[in-house]
Amino acid sequence: MPDIWGIAAIFAKLTLYFGVVGSTGLVIILATFPNLVLPLCRRIKAKAVVLAGLSIFAAMFGFMLRGAALTGGADGMTDPEMLGLLWQTPVGDVLVYRIAGMAILIAGMFIPRFGRWVSLAGGTIALWSFAKIGHVPDLQQTGVRLLLLLHLLGIAFWIGILGPLRNLSRLPEHLDDAALLGHRFGQAAAVIVPVLILAGLLMAWLLLGDLRALLSTGYGQTLLIKLVLVGAILILAAANKLRFVPAMQAGDSKAAQHLARSIKIETAVILVVLAATATLTSVLTLPN
Amino acid sequence: MKKLATFALMTVLATSAFAHSPVDHTTPENGATITEVPPEISFNFANDIRLTRVDMLHQDHPSVRLDLRDQTSFGRVFTLPLEGMGKGTYRIEWRGLGSDGHAMQGEFSFTVE
Repeated sequence: MPDIWGIAAIFAKLTLYFGVVGSTGLVIILATFPNLVLPLCRRIKAKAVVLAGLSIFAAMFGFMLRGAALTGGADGMTDPEMLGLLWQTPVGDVLVYRIAGMAILIAGMFIPRFGRWVSLAGGTIALWSFAKIGHVPDLQQTGVRLLLLLHLLGIAFWIGILGPLRNLSRLPEHLDDAALLGHRFGQAAAVIVPVLILAGLLMAWLLLGDLRALLSTGYGQTLLIKLVLVGAILILAAANKLRFVPAMQAGDSKAAQHLARSIKIETAVILVVLAATATLTSVLTLPN
Repeated sequence: MKKLATFALMTVLATSAFAHSPVDHTTPENGATITEVPPEISFNFANDIRLTRVDMLHQDHPSVRLDLRDQTSFGRVFTLPLEGMGKGTYRIEWRGLGSDGHAMQGEFSFTVE
């Protein structure tokens, strides 16, 4: 088990992932399906702002927790020497990317018309921070960093659709819109999800180097848990795409309820996947 | 669902191989038995690190924090003066920051007979 600072770091990272990926995802949905999510526009913007604010808080808290990990006590969280040391390393750089990116995202949500593109740029800056630090950048290949950014944008798109699609499918007067949104997302996902998974598997292979490490090391085992959970999400997503959405398009309002419930479960599993990822990137060391 | 999520989370948290500790070797070596308390201890790391905290624990005394005021830069080799506490087992716990921003920690022990 990691110590208390390790566990706190995992939760801060989980909140950061949820905030950055969730807010950027909502912005992507606003930019991709502006007409379909029009009834939810204000709600989506408000959610994006809250999630971005949450991620700024999580980024700062995570930075302070790293200070605590250096001294082994809470005093490190506010120790100017420790925080100053961290500031000089890539940890300081990514803090700037995250806060600046999420602040730009928030600002964009208050700008009419083209604001969503400003927000999208902000979200991408924050997502890029994850390609600046950690195990993947350690590989020192720009191609792999871009692969990670692509992976994150794909995840953001996927997570971004969940809230609006669930909310819309619970509004009986918008059943048609919900069905069309689900259908259009399904079409996009048919391309994005395989790329997302391929990018993930390729990065996993580059990081692990050997399939045996998948079973014999803590890092590999956690990655395996993540993969199994992603498999479960894919089954749920397939059910949504192949069963519930077509039924909704045929006017079946019960299917909309099933879809809403399925999305709720999907969100819970995604949270665990993010927690597994936070563990992989916070406290687990690579097998080699 | 909540039970499943909690179980999965606990499994994730319970996995082993935590913390980065790329210490190559220490003087005295981990697990060594020596006849006299060494006047200093040293660490050799595989990569650049800045030590941020080193504690010495001796079975008969409360833990002592070693003075790091002179350690103001990243490096691979560190030597710290040690105040002897007589015979017994000494445990040295260290924490540090890698130049890539990773927090690191580790420990080693030796016995004076």
